[in-house]
Amino acid sequence: MPIPAGAPIVVSVNGLVKSFGPHRVLNGVSFDVRRGEVVVVLGPSGSGKSTMLRCVNFLETFEGGTITVDGAPVGYRSDGQGRRRMLDEKMVAENRERVGMVFQSFNLFSHRTVLQNVMMGPVSVQHRDKSEVRKQALELLEKVGMAEKADQYPARLSGGQQQRVAIARALAMRPAVMLFDEATSALDPELVGEVLRVMRELATEGMTMVVVTHEMSFAREVADRVIFMDGGAIVEQGVPHEIMANPQTERFRSFLGTDRPDRGARIA
Amino acid sequence: MSISVLLANLPYLFQGAVVTLWLAFIVVTAGTLLGAIVGTIASGGGRILRAIVTAYVFIFRGIPVLVVMFLGFYTFPALGIRLSAYAAVTISMIVYVGAFVTEAVRGAIAAVPAGQVAAAKSLGMRRLTMLREVVLPQAARLAIAPILNISLMAIKQTSYASVVGAWELSFAAREIVERTLAAFQIFLGVMMIYFLICYPISLLANFCERKLSFDH
Repeated sequence: MPIPAGAPIVVSVNGLVKSFGPHRVLNGVSFDVRRGEVVVVLGPSGSGKSTMLRCVNFLETFEGGTITVDGAPVGYRSDGQGRRRMLDEKMVAENRERVGMVFQSFNLFSHRTVLQNVMMGPVSVQHRDKSEVRKQALELLEKVGMAEKADQYPARLSGGQQQRVAIARALAMRPAVMLFDEATSALDPELVGEVLRVMRELATEGMTMVVVTHEMSFAREVADRVIFMDGGAIVEQGVPHEIMANPQTERFRSFLGTDRPDRGARIA
Repeated sequence: MSISVLLANLPYLFQGAVVTLWLAFIVVTAGTLLGAIVGTIASGGGRILRAIVTAYVFIFRGIPVLVVMFLGFYTFPALGIRLSAYAAVTISMIVYVGAFVTEAVRGAIAAVPAGQVAAAKSLGMRRLTMLREVVLPQAARLAIAPILNISLMAIKQTSYASVVGAWELSFAAREIVERTLAAFQIFLGVMMIYFLICYPISLLANFCERKLSFDH
């Protein structure tokens, strides 16, 4: 389903620059994500794609460029004289409410049950009515197929189950955009499918998504747009069936070449 | 060697044990509270605050409790504050125990996995909410074992209180020994009383740890 060019921009990244010490990991990355769009970011390990994603909800600071989510600046604002100032903690937190994040290592709160994990954000951050949140949380758990595990603790769940709960937890905040940071990379191969199925369903429902992944088939079949990153910059981007069938650069060609057609290049 | 000398003096030893229990209870409770607060604040605070707390911890970890008690006993009068031996000992030990607990709490908070913090942030939690909902509940479990060790150490260290004249179990024991010369029997009894105080606390800590484990 093509995204109309007039759809409002949800995430806008402009000239993003980020270093770890002397090592520059992002070197002027720019792209927009429109409402309802599914953008899949591909690239070899160390290409900066996860760091870029973590900048979008300011889990990483950055030295240059700007990011906005729903028009609100992320992390920094410029004062009157054009200098950038870090936003205060309250503003940073409010921005993060609009951005759902799913981590490679799930990061469910280990001291809380599945249901409590999903309810925690809406109750303790958004101060929404507990019984209403509970109802919504159970619906979300139903949607990801985890309703019958609502009262279990995360340690008792498989990786795939934990990740589906983590998706429900992020959705409970009613975010404007969902970020997936290699959501299936830590999973046993037989558990990847159940998580991708949930992600696919979200995409069909029109959720705005930025997905960093090594799953080529997901990129090919679900993405509205594929971005290929290497060396901290965007090398190629476009509609998946065009750019993945016909890569314009040697780097993207060789990256796709190392991919096994069934499963996608997986990091060890 | 008759045990009757111990039995005859048991009521006096129990009086001492009650004082020891009170002293230990106040020192452990207040010291843990002090350490929990300072440790929590330090783990979130700025560089200067952290440096002050580090200095506090390292100074008190580096000196014997006996010296701390003497310091407390002689420092307050030097400042013009009149305190009983008990008060001086209690305050000194609270500050001493607090230093150890501070470090245990700081370590427990640092040991909460970074992913848990990242997840809390990504839900839009601010620092206090994150502390309340995620960090402290998880750190509490990690801190139980070290705090137990510190508490047991502190209970036994209350026996030093006698050096500045605060009467408690060990003091009472020495009085009896001077009178009866039955050192072995009396200290056998003292040993058992200390054990009976410490053992239930170990059990309690085990219970708390089980209660707070996340995989039930």
